[in-house]
Amino acid sequence: MTRSGASERVARLLSLVPWVAARGSASVEEICRRFAIDADQLLRDLDTVSMVGLYPYTPDVLIELYVEDGQVHITLPQAFDRPLQLTPEQAVALVAAGSSLLAVPGADPHGPLARGLAKLSGAVGGAGQANLEVRLGEVNPDVLGVLQAGLRQHRQVDIDYYAYGRDTHTRRVIDPYRVTSDEGQWYASAWCHLAGDERLFRLDRISSAELLDTTFSPPADLPAESVFSPSADDPRVVIELDPDARWVAEQYPVEAVEETSDGRLRATLAVSAHPWLERLLLRLGPSARVVVGSRDLRQAGHQAARRILARYGGPESG
Amino acid sequence: MATVDKAERLLNLISTLLSTTRPLTAEELRSRVPGYPEAKLSFRRAFERDKDDLREMGIPLVLEPLEGVDPPVEGYRIDRSRYYLTDPGFEPDELAALHLALSAVRLDGLDGTDGLWKLGGMVDAGPTGPGDPAGALASLPADPNLAALYQACAERRQVSFAYNAQERLIDPHRVGYQRGHWYLTGYDRQRADERNFRLDRIAGAVALGPPGAFEHAAGTGSGLPDDPWRLGEGPQITARLLVDADQVAWATSQLGDATVVERRPDGSAVFEVAVTNWPAFRTFVIGFLDHAEILAPAEQRHEMISWLTAVAADGGPAA
Repeated sequence: MTRSGASERVARLLSLVPWVAARGSASVEEICRRFAIDADQLLRDLDTVSMVGLYPYTPDVLIELYVEDGQVHITLPQAFDRPLQLTPEQAVALVAAGSSLLAVPGADPHGPLARGLAKLSGAVGGAGQANLEVRLGEVNPDVLGVLQAGLRQHRQVDIDYYAYGRDTHTRRVIDPYRVTSDEGQWYASAWCHLAGDERLFRLDRISSAELLDTTFSPPADLPAESVFSPSADDPRVVIELDPDARWVAEQYPVEAVEETSDGRLRATLAVSAHPWLERLLLRLGPSARVVVGSRDLRQAGHQAARRILARYGGPESG
Repeated sequence: MATVDKAERLLNLISTLLSTTRPLTAEELRSRVPGYPEAKLSFRRAFERDKDDLREMGIPLVLEPLEGVDPPVEGYRIDRSRYYLTDPGFEPDELAALHLALSAVRLDGLDGTDGLWKLGGMVDAGPTGPGDPAGALASLPADPNLAALYQACAERRQVSFAYNAQERLIDPHRVGYQRGHWYLTGYDRQRADERNFRLDRIAGAVALGPPGAFEHAAGTGSGLPDDPWRLGEGPQITARLLVDADQVAWATSQLGDATVVERRPDGSAVFEVAVTNWPAFRTFVIGFLDHAEILAPAEQRHEMISWLTAVAADGGPAA
């Protein structure tokens, strides 16, 4: 939903004007910085505001406004002396952003952010209650700390990593480019010296991380922020999904989806690692099946199920 | 006046509606606010658009009948008690910290920038902030009901919505984000118990009741459980899970040290886990492939075997 230019200007002015008026005056430079506009836009805005008042628009009910020596002076009629209440969308956006940053291990629980958040939730009626909680994902604070240090100081990191998709444990040296929480999990995107390529690592699968003295030069262009980046060489499968498994098409990076006449979905997915497909098929159980793919991939679910069943003493009889 | 800027017209409209002591009819607004078209139809169209703009900005526009007029006529005003922000009295460092949070955290479809303007604009944190030069530090999805549910928690409004094909009436306590999903935690009146609801499984829009409808009882509510297998309404089962040696560290990081009840000489370990959502726990166990095994209860072990047997046998590939 895009707003008209006029209503965006009005929203800004309803905040900007009371802010300046509360101080009597403020410099053009500071107003522009706070409200993210340039001086020309500010002067156009002020020109508009100078015409605002009350019926019958006699001078005593007009906003009093002038610019002198780079300072803007505003005196207001009562109606505009305070800013507008936050909308629920604005309130939740601010509280969620603040709570997220506060949820990063190492954030100061009594610092300016925590104080600001408490005041903010009071202003929207929260009365000091913590009405919103954010968890960014399981992470060992030491591992996160080492990766963030590596990121900031451009130093390599030696990690012990469990590659879940491939079901293997490895030690490897990485150059961390970015550390983010996405979809409730912490990830590091990095150059992996073992793979000789860019890789994405889930931080909860790094059992230990050590900061090395070796430095690296980060690339000028960072890789795209994407959790899943299948390669063109990965084999593709088409999985048929029953209605109760349709969510797969929304939560997995499907490359194509078509609907069958009986209400099933056929989703095309890239298979970057065999165990990844096995887990997906085992999880979906009878609600999904591979309908197009190499013989190996078409059998992936059946064979994984048989392998696990061997542990349980074989399949159910009858 | 020949042409009046639309922003100017909107500001004058807001100023007029804020200052009036009684509701004003559309006709009165046309004569008091400069810049509306003369023709009746064009005026109506412009006025409707302006009302939409006001509502979208969150301005509490009220339509109510004028007193002592017959036949009844309706007029407009702005509810002053809901229009103004209670000044939270931010210090510059607090505002700077919130600004930093907005730039470090990406919320799909939600923009807090206008909100920050209302609080006093952007204040730079300076070079000492933990800002991440390499893009967002965290990305969170939004949900169409998130803002309304947060408002309901903050203002203690009851909410009702359809969930699992049932109508729910909830005293909402808090919204929480975990493992990529937003949840609502609240007291379910019909079930007389605290429950958790995944926002993306709520059907349609939630309905909000009036503010101040219940008290947040201090100290009650355990909050959102950490694990998806605890986010269910099923009976509680204690599952015993055997995990192979090379997966024990990973399993411990997910289940917690306290759940380890036995460490075997070969390095494998047995975990005891309280489960109220069996499908979620089955998915977690499947993640281990053949490196883990459900030992007990017998019924759940059997359920896993049946599930795997169905997948193992499930026809051949169809194409």
